[in-house]
Amino acid sequence: MKIRKKARYVDPDLCNACEECVKVCPVVKPDEYQMGLSSRKAIYIPFPQAVPCSYILNMDDCLGNNPIACGKCAEVCDKQAINYDDEDEIITREIGSIIVAIGLDVYDPTEMDEYGYTRFENVITSMEFERLICAGGPTAGHFVRPSDQQRPKRIGFIQCVGSRNPKIGRPYCSNICCMNTIKDTLLLADHYPDMENVVFYQDIRSFGKSFEDMFQRSREAGTRYIRGLPGDVREDPNTRNLTVTVENTTKGKLEHHELDMLVLSVGVVPPKDLAKISGMLTLSKTSDGFFMESHPKLKPVDAPTRGVYFAGFCESPKDIKDSVCQAGAASSRSGALLNAGQIQIEAITSRIDETACKKCGLCAAVCPYGAIVWKKGEAAVVIEAACAGCGACGATCLFGAITMRHFTDDQLMAQVRATLGENPQDKVFCFACNWCSYAGGDMAGISRMKYPTTNRVVRTMCSARVSEEMVLEAFRCGAPIVLVSGCHYADCHYINANRQTVKRVQNLWNKLEKAGVRPERLQLEWISAAEGQKFAKVMYQLEEMRQAVTMEEIEHARQALKPKPKKAAKKKAEAAVAS
Amino acid sequence: MAATKETFRCMLCGHEYQESVEKGEDKERSCPKCRSNSIRHLKKKSSTKE
Amino acid sequence: MVANPTNDKIRVGVFVCDCGLNIAGAVDCAAVAEYAETLPDVMCVVRNKYTCADPGQNEIKNAIHQHQLTRVVVASCTPRQHEPTFRQCVREAGLNPYLLEMANLREHCSWVHPGEWDGATAKAKDLVASAVARARLLQPQEELTVPVTKRALVIGGGVAGIEAAIELGDAGHQVVLVEKQPSIGGIMAQLDKTFPTMDCSI
Repeated sequence: MKIRKKARYVDPDLCNACEECVKVCPVVKPDEYQMGLSSRKAIYIPFPQAVPCSYILNMDDCLGNNPIACGKCAEVCDKQAINYDDEDEIITREIGSIIVAIGLDVYDPTEMDEYGYTRFENVITSMEFERLICAGGPTAGHFVRPSDQQRPKRIGFIQCVGSRNPKIGRPYCSNICCMNTIKDTLLLADHYPDMENVVFYQDIRSFGKSFEDMFQRSREAGTRYIRGLPGDVREDPNTRNLTVTVENTTKGKLEHHELDMLVLSVGVVPPKDLAKISGMLTLSKTSDGFFMESHPKLKPVDAPTRGVYFAGFCESPKDIKDSVCQAGAASSRSGALLNAGQIQIEAITSRIDETACKKCGLCAAVCPYGAIVWKKGEAAVVIEAACAGCGACGATCLFGAITMRHFTDDQLMAQVRATLGENPQDKVFCFACNWCSYAGGDMAGISRMKYPTTNRVVRTMCSARVSEEMVLEAFRCGAPIVLVSGCHYADCHYINANRQTVKRVQNLWNKLEKAGVRPERLQLEWISAAEGQKFAKVMYQLEEMRQAVTMEEIEHARQALKPKPKKAAKKKAEAAVAS
Repeated sequence: MAATKETFRCMLCGHEYQESVEKGEDKERSCPKCRSNSIRHLKKKSSTKE
Repeated sequence: MVANPTNDKIRVGVFVCDCGLNIAGAVDCAAVAEYAETLPDVMCVVRNKYTCADPGQNEIKNAIHQHQLTRVVVASCTPRQHEPTFRQCVREAGLNPYLLEMANLREHCSWVHPGEWDGATAKAKDLVASAVARARLLQPQEELTVPVTKRALVIGGGVAGIEAAIELGDAGHQVVLVEKQPSIGGIMAQLDKTFPTMDCSI
């Protein structure tokens, strides 16, 4: 595992945080920690309690390391902790287990124009509220509104901004915003008893330990809770006050509320680095964009990749307590693995028969792991420890030289034949990959989503394991419809093995068409482990297609797709030897 | 490399559409009409339809 | 390693699980069991109320010895849930764990086809036939054991990452904590007070 340790330009071991450098730095930038509500210098400490407790020089902001341009901070630093030539360092460490705790991003409400965030100065987000009310914040905890630095008398909170809103693609509940607002109203009631607080909400979700009690205290402290999310916010250009229009759904009345300030209780979104980490560790995500766990109930902190565990928000929205709980669970799972000191690799790896290998190198070209070593003129060799067992090579080999242990051609072909043995015309034949599509079928089951009984699923580790012959064999056995299904591109458990699936299905469509078989009878779908609903929907669609396939068509495919005589003879010979 | 217009056909609903394809791109395809992933890349036809 | 001296003979045992009413409520398990008896190389078929429970597992172990089984098919739930359970079970009875196959009669059948007695039963039979066909061709496999480096990487220095790193460190493990920002603390460090106890975030 390679880690880039970013240059700080200030040696944290030497820096004693004396602040002399900050005094002389001429560059003024918005302070990220304070949500841009105050400023910092190019050399700064992120916040007083920062760890490491050291200053850092932001080279993008710095005037330059040329002493003629500036260099003032280095001049005043007694400890000589500042080094303009500091460089990023690449640290390589062997790692046995990984805990992914990459957290969350806060929803940016600018796109929800009706609330006027960024148009009206006195509309702020709940994160900005945190800094404004904090004693360590830009106003030292004196709560004032941005437009005139005066203390507001009437504050409104709007809930579910960026949460439970399918229209903007955020259908999930962010979990923490209700309680955060309740906390905010209690803080305000405590600091400023005369302040009027009103909360616009669709549901208040105060389900955790002592949460309901807190909600009741907020109400007792005088906070008004109005059921209904505002449709419109307007600003009075003179007073800079805001008028909120809302349908009070409890009273069934349209109301207007004039407020001095409005806090948008913003939801949370998956961190933008999630896709990158997901790709590195071959993880997948649920429909809301957070990481998908190995099993929703029984393995809630395990990633599908062994040795990887989740902690905190990146798995699903949760509060601090739940994050700490999950972190404890993840470290315990991780520690157990490290203590064991060894791990068993499932015996599903690829093996190449040297004598059957025609030295073409096709297998090495499709291996996502570079686990097959091949040199021109030599037989290919599998590095077992690097092989993950997807079977892309096995399905690609034209000479039957590759055996996928535990998912052999013979085993899978036998399943095709046994499944379609009787009344094949009544069946929709499906190949599903272990990690996503098959798991998506499991999810449909767990969620009790009904679908037609006609589908028959055969499991492979990866959709790339499904060879052309397997699909053709299904048609030869009389399958009206064949589905090949795998992970979405971003979720492929074998890095990108399922791109081979696409190529193969394209080829098969051409082949079927050439043979006079309707290519539509072969279908391809990406179904994630979370998409039980899609699995069920696809099964309905395929059943509808199946009903339109005639017996003549099935019979024609049987005949037209018969293997070429030479191959058939060879197959027969092999079968005879085997039995 | 420049992008080229290519023709795709949804094998589920039959919808045929064009999309620009960049060389070497790695993109999951789904039908703009029915969301199916059974998208067949119809080669050679693109130039005549452009 | 395989206790059974007649290893090269294919002798399949099929264990059909009712899973209480989870499977038996939507699938005719008796008919599935009866059908399984007609499949090639099947030497014994047993119906269990809960195959994964101790009595069910004991029945598998007993049958392996009694019928000299060399392959085991468990027709119950998804292999993604109980394959490790049953692999362990057959291993304890002296069989290589890779000689086990499962048919998913629950997640992929009974749970999605309630009230479709005939269709679900026909499907369950096919799933068992497919599993038996595969089982007959299974081969014993040896797993590769690889050492695990005794060091953990924690990605992200927010409250969850910090907590996980501390716990692992306390347990005596080496931990590398990576954080993209200049300081650890994450979003929580930007909060003022936190619910429900109103204490400070840092």
